[in-house]
Amino acid sequence: MALSGDARAVASSPRSRLADAWPAIAAAAAALVCAAPAIAVLAGGLTARIDDPGAADLMARSVRGTMVLVLVAGAAATALGAAAAWLVTLCQFPGRRLFEWLLVLPLAAPVYVLAYAYGAITGPGGPAPIRLSGLAGAGVVYALGFYPYVYLAARAAFVSQSVCALEAARALGATPWRTFLTVALPLAWPGIAAGAALACMEIAADYGAAAYFGAETVTTGVFRAWFARGEPQLALQLAAYLLAGALALLALERYARGRRSFAGASARWRPLPRYRLAPAAAGAATLFCATLVVLGAAAPLAWLLRLASFRPLADLADLGPPLLRTLLLAGAGAALTLTLSALIAASARRPAGRAGALAAAVGYAAPGAVTALGAMAVFAAAREAGLVGGLGGALSIAALLWVYAARFAAAGAQPIEAGLTRVGRHMGEAGRTLGASPSRRLAHIDLPIAAPGVIAGALVVFVDILKELPATLVLRPFDFETLAVRAHSYASDDRLTQAAAPALLITLAGLAPVIMLSRRLSRARAGDAPGDGQ
Amino acid sequence: MSGCEVRLEGVRRLFSDEAAVDDVTLTAPAGAVTALLGASGSGKSTLLRMIAGLEPVDGGRVVLGGAVVSAPGVTVAAEHRRVGLVFQDYALFPHLTAGANVAFGLSGADKAARRAEAGAWLDRVGLAHRADAFPHELSGGEQQRVALARALAPRPRAILLDEPVSGLDPGLRADLRDRTRAAIAELGATAVFVTHDADEALYIADQIAILRAGRLVQAGPPRAVYDHPASPEAAAALGPVNRFDGVAIGGVLSTPFGPLRAERPDGPATAIVRAEAVTLHAGDGARVLDRRPQGAFDVARIAAGNVEWRALIAARAGPQAGEACAVKLTAEGAFVFDRTRAPAR
Repeated sequence: MALSGDARAVASSPRSRLADAWPAIAAAAAALVCAAPAIAVLAGGLTARIDDPGAADLMARSVRGTMVLVLVAGAAATALGAAAAWLVTLCQFPGRRLFEWLLVLPLAAPVYVLAYAYGAITGPGGPAPIRLSGLAGAGVVYALGFYPYVYLAARAAFVSQSVCALEAARALGATPWRTFLTVALPLAWPGIAAGAALACMEIAADYGAAAYFGAETVTTGVFRAWFARGEPQLALQLAAYLLAGALALLALERYARGRRSFAGASARWRPLPRYRLAPAAAGAATLFCATLVVLGAAAPLAWLLRLASFRPLADLADLGPPLLRTLLLAGAGAALTLTLSALIAASARRPAGRAGALAAAVGYAAPGAVTALGAMAVFAAAREAGLVGGLGGALSIAALLWVYAARFAAAGAQPIEAGLTRVGRHMGEAGRTLGASPSRRLAHIDLPIAAPGVIAGALVVFVDILKELPATLVLRPFDFETLAVRAHSYASDDRLTQAAAPALLITLAGLAPVIMLSRRLSRARAGDAPGDGQ
Repeated sequence: MSGCEVRLEGVRRLFSDEAAVDDVTLTAPAGAVTALLGASGSGKSTLLRMIAGLEPVDGGRVVLGGAVVSAPGVTVAAEHRRVGLVFQDYALFPHLTAGANVAFGLSGADKAARRAEAGAWLDRVGLAHRADAFPHELSGGEQQRVALARALAPRPRAILLDEPVSGLDPGLRADLRDRTRAAIAELGATAVFVTHDADEALYIADQIAILRAGRLVQAGPPRAVYDHPASPEAAAALGPVNRFDGVAIGGVLSTPFGPLRAERPDGPATAIVRAEAVTLHAGDGARVLDRRPQGAFDVARIAAGNVEWRALIAARAGPQAGEACAVKLTAEGAFVFDRTRAPAR
């Protein structure tokens, strides 16, 4: 017994040395894939020399446009999302339970799809008396499309508050209104700020809606400098500014999320005491939430459906090839990205792994246009060194897959990590003391418990890739059209009735993760732990 | 199947250069229940994990049934030790029913046989009717019993329990202690369980091992350790005590509450007197500051000079708060130790 035991233990030691090293390997892979494009952009942007006299003007207008949109539309999205979250979690009014999950529906449609819909609704032949365009148009669409980010974060923050803290405040004699202002809101503030930072990141990163409305932002500026003016140096510099802004927002989001941990210290669950609103106030609450759902999802999608119905059915057949390409691309991209996500998630709790998670977060924060530019810069450098040929065909598909992995590895890693968290350390140890071998533990404990997280991660990444526009637009091989590219090119030509069908198909795919999220929201009750291991 | 002896020989475990477990030598006899008693941070859980093979040793050896299973640089994997472990948080598999949890560690190709055996184990802990429930559908006490059945089902050579009932309601604990003890006795397994509750350790164990700051303070049968503590720490670990630091002269240590026999050379000494060894009678010499009920007994705070002690006395009798009283110290619960270092105050 002793001898065989010793032999086994000695034999396992090189394997454990590999186990100790692989978080560092995962981190290095994540850093290489996710952060390299961003670093290339920063390096190129800082060393760029620009002697075009018009460049300063373009840069000033682009930066101003993005700043205005982030501040105004970001504030609007934050106000709408936080107000909706407060109503739904802490008040009682007709339709509350329904709105709890309906309010996330705008996330299903990418904002460029919302932009096309509002372009049609407010354009010639549309029912609206006003016309949306430019910065104002983009701002309205951003506020309606991105408020759910704030809603989700704020709702989680309100829900996780300890009922005890709220009750303690009331027991100390505070009125409900004072309790909200002095206890509930301060406790929820870090969550709201994290959501607001996410919404602002999305606003700064958007290309499709801004391009459609002709809004001058940094992302559209990158495209203009690059393609219309043929100045890659200027494009790089703009991209570097955009990236710096995105990283600042990422830092803000991280900081706010870190502070969120002081809320919800109590594990005890009791139903949140909801304020019963007076009839007039309850009516206003219902109207407010209904308006958000109608303007953010129902009306634009219904209008696109109406537009699509004007086209002959033969049009749909034309969508076959781009649909097939989109599915293949998203499938390959998701498989690649998810492998990286799994590596990052599995090593996230090790010190070396945290560096990988940070690199992935940087990749996620970098807008698609920036990452595409960075990937091209890396390929250009490789071509100068004689390592690769021109960017085309298979090579540009490879570049595209790389950009997807860089952009979305963090999005896939998050649900996988949440799934792995459900496998407490003790569960693996319990398996060991019950005599289960490593492979049996993986197959019968780790994987089944983490599977929902892996599936959720795969779905999120697949749909994110399917919706991605700017990087796909830039890096795709000649004549290689995906649904998003097809919708974008129709919309750019103001052929909105033709853009409607591909836009709707993208939204239909986007519904899947949103429904998953909604189901979780409607099932989750206040105070439920994220994992239900206890 | 009966249990095997678990022997720890000078085991050490360092966490970032600090000894979490330091030179512990202890034998858990086959088929007996050994309690590791200590405050949090005393190293008791680390010791348990070393026996299970979940934690390597940095010094010394762990010997199971005569075979070395842990030594520096050598650790027989937990899955090859046939040692059961009941975790403090139970660590039930959330995706498996109670029955499937218990069946997890059972070997044998016949699925129906495994299921029947798991059912028998659930029956033994009184949960046959809950076999199809998932862990989140079970109460805390039921989860503990499933965890116990799961750990016992593969008939391990030793069963380890980490604070097995500490998360539960006090009313439930007594019942679970008896059930746990009965189930272990039926299997005849060697049991080692960790607790910070002295009453629990005294009640359930055949042997108590008191740990403090990673070191073994004293080990032995519960009554022997209680009646003959080896140090002030060992005495204080098993119940409320009073302490007085003085000087022993001529075989006597005088405390403000009376003299104690000190069969040792003259010099600094510490008196440790259990609360129930302080009895109050009519007379004077001390004063009752107050008395508060504690179940069948009252806890009286008494003072002599500027020294304050506690006495565990019969309820509804004896001197009342504010009254003077005479104090007698019962020899069985009063101990005198040499005091080599200055008292930590």
